[in-house]
Amino acid sequence: MIRLENVTKTYRTRRGPVNALDNVSIEVARGEFVVVRGPSGCGKSTLLLMIGGMLRPSSGAVLLDDADVYALSQRERNRLRATRVGFVFQMFHLVPYLTVIENVLLPNARAVGRDRALALLEQLGLADRALHRPGELSAGEKQRAALARALIHRPAIVLADEPTGNLDPENAAGVFGHLADYHKSGGTVVVVTHGGDGDVHADRVICLRAGCIEA
Amino acid sequence: MNTLSLILKEIAHRKWNALLALLAITAAVALYVGFAMLGAAAERETVILMRDLGYNLRIIPRETDETAFYERGYAVDTIPQEYVRRFAGKQGISYRHLRASLKERIRIGDADVLLVGVTTEVHPAGAKERPMAQAYDVPPGHVVAGFHAARRLGLEDGATVEIAGASFVVDRCLLESGTEEDVTLYGNLDDVQRILGKEGRINEIQALECLCVNPKVDTLDKLRAELIAIMPEAKVIKMRDIAEARQRQRFTTQSHLAVTLDAAIVGCGLWIAVLALLNVRERRCEIGILRALGYGSARIAALFLGKAALLGALGACIGFAAGTLLSLRVGPGIFQVTAQAIVPMYGLLAQAVVVAPVFAAACSVAPTALAVTQDPAHVLRDA
Repeated sequence: MIRLENVTKTYRTRRGPVNALDNVSIEVARGEFVVVRGPSGCGKSTLLLMIGGMLRPSSGAVLLDDADVYALSQRERNRLRATRVGFVFQMFHLVPYLTVIENVLLPNARAVGRDRALALLEQLGLADRALHRPGELSAGEKQRAALARALIHRPAIVLADEPTGNLDPENAAGVFGHLADYHKSGGTVVVVTHGGDGDVHADRVICLRAGCIEA
Repeated sequence: MNTLSLILKEIAHRKWNALLALLAITAAVALYVGFAMLGAAAERETVILMRDLGYNLRIIPRETDETAFYERGYAVDTIPQEYVRRFAGKQGISYRHLRASLKERIRIGDADVLLVGVTTEVHPAGAKERPMAQAYDVPPGHVVAGFHAARRLGLEDGATVEIAGASFVVDRCLLESGTEEDVTLYGNLDDVQRILGKEGRINEIQALECLCVNPKVDTLDKLRAELIAIMPEAKVIKMRDIAEARQRQRFTTQSHLAVTLDAAIVGCGLWIAVLALLNVRERRCEIGILRALGYGSARIAALFLGKAALLGALGACIGFAAGTLLSLRVGPGIFQVTAQAIVPMYGLLAQAVVVAPVFAAACSVAPTALAVTQDPAHVLRDA
């Protein structure tokens, strides 16, 4: 389903080029739950953004269902993200002036409908928060709202970047639980994290260090 | 969620940014409307005041000797009165307010006066214009007396005066002007022609130069060429001081207004651009997440340009009202001669509603370009 072939990403900085990823090759099968673990700055977020079609590799190829993501036009990549990919970020990135349900309906709202959003919020324990703004939510609630936004359009893949980085253990466990539920329903999940709290749900753990996969 | 809903919700959320942008647009439109209304008032006022400096062109018979003309103050030679009608209906010429006259110095009792017979003005463009302040409409059997002429002849309003055996009623006595007018008796042209034994003749046509041409160009050659085409039996003398003072004043008024307005509009434009830039910076993460959700460049741009256009339309309406009210309040105090002509210019509302959104959007183009081209991966990775 997801295949990275010899992917390298080099950032140009004032102090010279920095390799965030160095000749990385990974395969993730459809319906697999993969945790990519590694310390800060090892290239985890870069890897995730590349899979999501948001960051072009310096070399190598990123393929989704055998289609080269970066051979697609910008418009096609936008469509790919809007229909097949769901993102969850450590900082939640909820739009502050929209209510929870409006945030959840941001991706492709017309296609999914309000009932589906309310059902999803109910499932994630946020039904009573649907009309609240992000500023009125706890960190755990914000991340569940972000998770609902990532799942609302039933994406084939959920890409989560440190989804529990700002949560207490109880909320972190809850978020991983919801990701696991999604995985059980047939979804593909790639989570990057620096801790080991998602390993229990993972089909496979990939360790990344200094831009390379550890054996 | 549609783009308009997102824009409205964002405006409601970041009220201060939106209010300040709205204020800038309102100020720009109010200034534009105010300058347009007060500018038009200033121009009308200037036209009236400058026009009241008097006629600045003198058309006299071609054979007139200039030395004798300046010595006497009028031409000895005459031309037929009906020549002035040749100007009627002539479009696109530089002569306005043409008044035929017959002037001659005469003695009444022991006083020398300048007797001037005048007719109503001829308007080449065809449209009836408000007569010059000096265009005394003297009915037959009446005279208008200059200040010193009235004193020396012992005249007052309603009195009668004998001229060459005929009796005339004094319509009014003029205030002292410090010009030749003070020793003048104005009469109806027919009466004066009869008194002087020059029926159907005139020795001067006074006129006002039209200011439709570039004020920096000396127009005397043009005036002469036009006159030859219409009245080859005459020549024109331009009273340069009056003409140029009038041109300069009108040109100065127009340029001053234009420069001030341009500076104000540019200032407001920069203000809008800075606010839009701040808005883009504040919304970097939002832009990043919208990209991650599949929003394209056009939709991101629409969020910012749409917001600017919406505030522009609102600012146009508020600015029109503010500019109009301000002009109606302060205008009449400044432009007292033409105060009643200061009225709302509703055409400006239509202009503002079209132009202000485009202006606001244009000022937001650069910040919008930054929003569209920012790397979402960079923002989402670092946030």
